[in-house]
Amino acid sequence: MSAPYLTERRFDGTGLIPGHLLGMRITSRRRATISFLILGVGLAGVAVAVGMGWIILNWREGIKVFLGVVFFTAITAGLVLNTIFLLREIRRNEQHDSFINAVTHELKTPITSIRLYLQTLQRREVAEPERKEFYRLMLDDTDRLLGTVEQVLKAGIAGHRRRTAEPVEVDLEGLVRDCVELARSGRGLPPEAVRFDLPVEGDRALVSGDPEELRTAVSNVLDNAIKYSGEKVDISVRIESPDEKRVALKVHDRGVGIPPAELKRVFKRFYRVPNRSLTHVKGTGLGLFIVRAIAKKHGGRVFAQSQGDGTGTTVVLELPRSSR
Amino acid sequence: MSRVLIVEDETHLVKGLRFNLEAEGHSVEVAADGESALEWLLGDSRNPEAEGKRASGEDFDAVVLDVMLPGKDGFEIAAELRAANNFVPILMLTARGRPEDVLKGFASGADDYLAKPFELPILLARLQGLLRRRDWSRMSATNADSASRSGGTPDHDVFPFDGRVIDFGKLELRGKATTIQLTFMEAQLLRYLVSKRGRVVSRKSILEDVWGLDEDTDTRAIDNFIVRLRRYIEENPSKPEHLLTVRGVGYRFIPEPKKSETT
Repeated sequence: MSAPYLTERRFDGTGLIPGHLLGMRITSRRRATISFLILGVGLAGVAVAVGMGWIILNWREGIKVFLGVVFFTAITAGLVLNTIFLLREIRRNEQHDSFINAVTHELKTPITSIRLYLQTLQRREVAEPERKEFYRLMLDDTDRLLGTVEQVLKAGIAGHRRRTAEPVEVDLEGLVRDCVELARSGRGLPPEAVRFDLPVEGDRALVSGDPEELRTAVSNVLDNAIKYSGEKVDISVRIESPDEKRVALKVHDRGVGIPPAELKRVFKRFYRVPNRSLTHVKGTGLGLFIVRAIAKKHGGRVFAQSQGDGTGTTVVLELPRSSR
Repeated sequence: MSRVLIVEDETHLVKGLRFNLEAEGHSVEVAADGESALEWLLGDSRNPEAEGKRASGEDFDAVVLDVMLPGKDGFEIAAELRAANNFVPILMLTARGRPEDVLKGFASGADDYLAKPFELPILLARLQGLLRRRDWSRMSATNADSASRSGGTPDHDVFPFDGRVIDFGKLELRGKATTIQLTFMEAQLLRYLVSKRGRVVSRKSILEDVWGLDEDTDTRAIDNFIVRLRRYIEENPSKPEHLLTVRGVGYRFIPEPKKSETT
């Protein structure tokens, strides 16, 4: 028999738990951003209004008008710059926080998995096939751990140092072919999932640089395309020659796409597109930043093209053709 | 045999957890994202016409819930379950082990919280603890029902005050007209305040004694729990009579404010 009273659960108007910590950090950050924006715009408005008043009141006295214009322009410019600086700092802190969260997750998850399997093996009788499977999973986890550590280290190097080694002539076609093969085999993808279309031109795509860094850049672009492809991976990789001085690697996926406003930001350090469909994709927000740093070091550039959500993305890595 | 739902998107962890929980004799189901977890637990009550969906949720004895999940995160899932009156014991797992994250987990409705990387024996012991508590709670409810049917008094852990009864066994707060289901941590905090009734308790001591956190935690997190408890036990939460704030120190619980005034 059910209890003769009404069972209820009281929550506030949000339908969830009232005033608790859920999203507190984000909400307070947004509030701070909006407050700084309103304060900055308000103060700049006041400065402009006072300046205009000064000019109107003293319009007959040229020297006073001149000094007033200079003074209030300086104050307004200072306020605008200060507001921009504060907003940038808030955004940078947000990105830094999300990076710390992502790296924490990317480091702790494989460690947790390895410890779980080691403690299981230590604690229980495990049949031979399962034991082998556990070893395989642990090795995968060490690879993942190593990948994250290497990415963080590479981001540090890419962000601070100039040339790391004496440049050598690199056959981009061979290098891309190796990277495509590695990306496919690493994720167990069939050949048609990542297609490498041969260059039409007869000449070889030779560039000058550090082969290891170029390999990292190409691998990161490919990994990114695979990660954001969703369930069906369908990627085409091409090497083109926009002109006789440049070689361009184009990696096109048919995945989640990038909103136009985010096309440049995805190459910033720690930046990850704040999109619901991407929340399941784990990453540190460093992959494309490393690609951009390597491209710059080699005198090239990287950019993304996309029509927006759900339309796929093309990442173009342009490098100067070797002059040797 | 207990039925446990693992909500985790990391396949390696799922395999290891499933292996161990099955070895302990539990039956295990897995949800790889927040939506699937809610579908398992609540059914598709939000969209009953949808094809291939469960019309109503399934009964689990405990949930092992990861925080960083695709779509809805673990905090949102716990909050939605509690909002839907689903009080299945939740053991939250997360890479974020800072004290404020732990409190956030409890605030969203989790019953226990374990930071990654965890020790396997600790995970199993904590899960066992939740299952045991669930069993006790069921036994307690059965005893109460049979006692009320036979005209006797329930023999479990209750605290009556000012026309209300806190039932720690059933995790309920019974008022004159309504009954509010408490989470385990809400009940623990109430139990602590009841045990110190009439005395001032500091926020720091609440953190240490109720949550077991002795680090330099932001003690204002406690205030959110207090706000919630006031909504449950006060006639007018903005002018509390039972749960008083002692400025700069913490709180004081007065079970019978009217009697206190006359004495």
